[in-house]
Amino acid sequence: VTLICPWSAGGGTDRVARQLAAQLKDELDVPVNVVNATGGGGAIGHSRGALARPDGYTLTMATVELNMLHWRGICPITPDDFRPLAKLNQDSAAVFVRRDSAWQTLSDLRAAVDEAASPVRASGTASGGIWHIAWVGWLQAAGLPADATTWVSMSGAAPSLQELMAGGIDVVCCSLPEAGTLLQAGEIRCLGLMSERRSPAAPEVPTCSEQGIDWSMGGWRGLVYPRGVPEQRVARMEQAVLEIARGERFAGFMQASGFQRDVADGRQFAAFLDRMDSDFGDILQQPAMKQQALPPIGAYWMPAACGALLVSIAGFGWITSRSGGEVEPAEPSGTDGKLLSGVLASLLGFLMLYESLGYVLSCGLLLAVLLTLLKVRWPVTALLVCVLVPTTYQVFSGLLGVPLPWGVLGW
Amino acid sequence: MPEGLIQAAGDIAGRPDLWLILFAAACYGIFVGTIPGLTATMAVALFVPVAYWLDPLAAITAIVAIVACAIFAGDLPTVYLRIPGTPASAAYADQAYRLHQRGLGGRVLGVSLLCSVTGGILGAIVLMLLGGQLANVARWFSVTEYLWLYVIGLSCAVLVSPGTARWKALVSLLIGWLLASVGWSAVHGVPRFAFGYAPLYQGISFIPAMIGLFGLSEVFANLSRDALDGQADQPASSETEAVGEAANADGTVTGPWRDFVWRLKHRPGGIARSSGLGVLIGMLPGAGADIASWVSFAMGKRRGDDPDSDTVQAIGDATTANSSALAGGWIPALVFGIPGDSVTAIVIGVLLMKNVTPGPAIFEDQSALVYSIYLVFLCANLVMLPVGAIAIAFAGRLVRIPKRVLLPVIVLFCVTGAYALNASLFDVVVMTAMGLAGFLLNRFGFPLGPVVLGLILGSPLEERLVQALTASGGRLTGLVDRPIAAVLACVAAAVWLRIFQVMIRESRAAKWSNG
Repeated sequence: VTLICPWSAGGGTDRVARQLAAQLKDELDVPVNVVNATGGGGAIGHSRGALARPDGYTLTMATVELNMLHWRGICPITPDDFRPLAKLNQDSAAVFVRRDSAWQTLSDLRAAVDEAASPVRASGTASGGIWHIAWVGWLQAAGLPADATTWVSMSGAAPSLQELMAGGIDVVCCSLPEAGTLLQAGEIRCLGLMSERRSPAAPEVPTCSEQGIDWSMGGWRGLVYPRGVPEQRVARMEQAVLEIARGERFAGFMQASGFQRDVADGRQFAAFLDRMDSDFGDILQQPAMKQQALPPIGAYWMPAACGALLVSIAGFGWITSRSGGEVEPAEPSGTDGKLLSGVLASLLGFLMLYESLGYVLSCGLLLAVLLTLLKVRWPVTALLVCVLVPTTYQVFSGLLGVPLPWGVLGW
Repeated sequence: MPEGLIQAAGDIAGRPDLWLILFAAACYGIFVGTIPGLTATMAVALFVPVAYWLDPLAAITAIVAIVACAIFAGDLPTVYLRIPGTPASAAYADQAYRLHQRGLGGRVLGVSLLCSVTGGILGAIVLMLLGGQLANVARWFSVTEYLWLYVIGLSCAVLVSPGTARWKALVSLLIGWLLASVGWSAVHGVPRFAFGYAPLYQGISFIPAMIGLFGLSEVFANLSRDALDGQADQPASSETEAVGEAANADGTVTGPWRDFVWRLKHRPGGIARSSGLGVLIGMLPGAGADIASWVSFAMGKRRGDDPDSDTVQAIGDATTANSSALAGGWIPALVFGIPGDSVTAIVIGVLLMKNVTPGPAIFEDQSALVYSIYLVFLCANLVMLPVGAIAIAFAGRLVRIPKRVLLPVIVLFCVTGAYALNASLFDVVVMTAMGLAGFLLNRFGFPLGPVVLGLILGSPLEERLVQALTASGGRLTGLVDRPIAAVLACVAAAVWLRIFQVMIRESRAAKWSNG
């Protein structure tokens, strides 16, 4: 079984995914490998999960971005492309300031945002990310315009908190566990939690509604199948996952990591996804949200500058080396054109066959062809192919738990 | 303080299982680090499910040893096959491989092992003595300072590229930078040059690109009759000698040992500088071992009478820096709970899993654990010495396989390594395309190191620029109005002046030779 995690190794979602994978392995008695399909703000992983073969062997650790990506026109994947299995956790957004900040309550912050001569700088994630939406929603709930603050687009909560400490920004909006260690250390202060009730992990933090601004927003994580998996397998997997999620070991892990566990079965999860989806649609469709955070330099400014510089430097170099008659370092041994095209052709064939034939067959073939091209005697070739390829597969797939395509042989 | 230290030492000494774990983790680290495509981060991420069964100290011990050994082991394929095993070795891939072709591979690896161990130990000592104070330095760094740090890193690549004209290095750098702009741009929230093709959204990941540029391109370059029959660049008999020398005493590497002693006598400044630099760069979140190795390699380069020795010493500086950077990464992680790199991000996760919360309180509540972590750093680096020496001896034998057999096997590993990272076929396509690109670039004398650095630093640099400008409300003065930013900007300007100076000298020299 492969578990797709749309975020990189070491992050919160990855940690939950790997913990779940380890327990699923014990529960189902099959190897469960985690694949980090990162990029595109979650678009890559979710697309790959939705488009995977619906044979029940590919799971996806979906996150709140699934509710957002399609509204922002980034990828066409919506919650309808998945069969929800279980919701695992939900973390509310919270507002953090530096220890030495003058703002003690959310109303201080509200007044400061309203009166500040230069806009208050806030961050927590990339523009259009979950914490950005939570922040803009809060501004609106507080009766402020959506563009009252500057949102600095950072790649995640950890760099935003670092930036907060360095004084580059004034406010961070992210979840409690992400800021947990700094909060405990007293380096930062939490002004309010965007939730209906206080968090058991930090009961001293007041909620927004207690401070007169009624607003709640948070991110979730859950396990989903692509649409079209046979119902029998869905039922079996759902049962296994819920068993784990409600179990003590998983609860212990979640509590130790500071994540708020919030388990729901497939049907409840699907209803929850529907509700979230329309909420996000409301916020993301607003013109203020769409216009917010146009970066000071456009997306194609840097590539254009690079390209121009590249052309001018290459021109400069070409002219000086020509007028100077610089001697090109002569290659002592010219590459054999026929051999090179042979190797390239076999690589091309390999790329086309790789995922359908599977690792062992396609790599064996590639190795055999290349060795023959280089005129290695056939007993050596046969020996190498038979020993090296299966060993490599076993080492990667069995020992290290790195998934390789298994293809027709199932190996 | 001493009580905690004594207790920690007692804890470690009294636990034989810890030494067993240390040894096993070192072997595993060496193994994963040697495989191109599997990075040190990957090694640790794969280890996390196992960490669940260990107590905090044992888990940390294993992680420290895995990372230290993986970063060193990245040098093995770098020297012998020109495929950087981890990105931290990319800075000196070309130079190291050239030395191997001239029969100095064993010597380079020996020096690299000894320097990695020194770097790791010095880094651990700095961590032990100054950890708390240094953590405050990290909190001065905002996006503006990072912007300048990245500019300096990029400029160093232009300055150090071997034996070619500066303009060629600049062209390589810009090519890498342009390739980096393919894919999803997080700060702008739009995909660039993706043409609606989903796999391009994730951009060109630099690990498959690196394997292709350095590894596969070298296979292509060797596809000639002469090279195959071993007349062109057959590692001369001295190679086997050097390897034999490294192998004969298992652990007491004699040839490199001489280099190392020379190094201790004549370049103590270089050792101190590169380990200090490593710790400083390593503790900045978002920088880390790769940049430390690049900057240190640039600073270590000298033009002396014996170019081989100088390059070996510069590689020594770079390996010292990338090992000490690992210790640096733990500083913000332990003090603030902010990860210094992706490995410490996982470490924080593991610690939380064990109900240990990093932060200032850890130094008071669990001082024994903190001291144990420091000591474990020392032990891990000591264990690396014998394990690494065995690995060098072993790798030396593999290189004696005839090229006709070796080349297809390298192709197999390139393909497997490129696929393993993200389990994506597109990465294998990228690797193949980059192999061809690297072959062509090399053919016309363009260096490959700057391409990789452009790929690694291109997007973060642009991201930081956009962030700094957003925060300053679009004013350019916002880029230099913080004191550290201003200092770093001056350093960057100085490096660029030097580059232009060299460029002008080179073009004059070209004219002279003609006229």
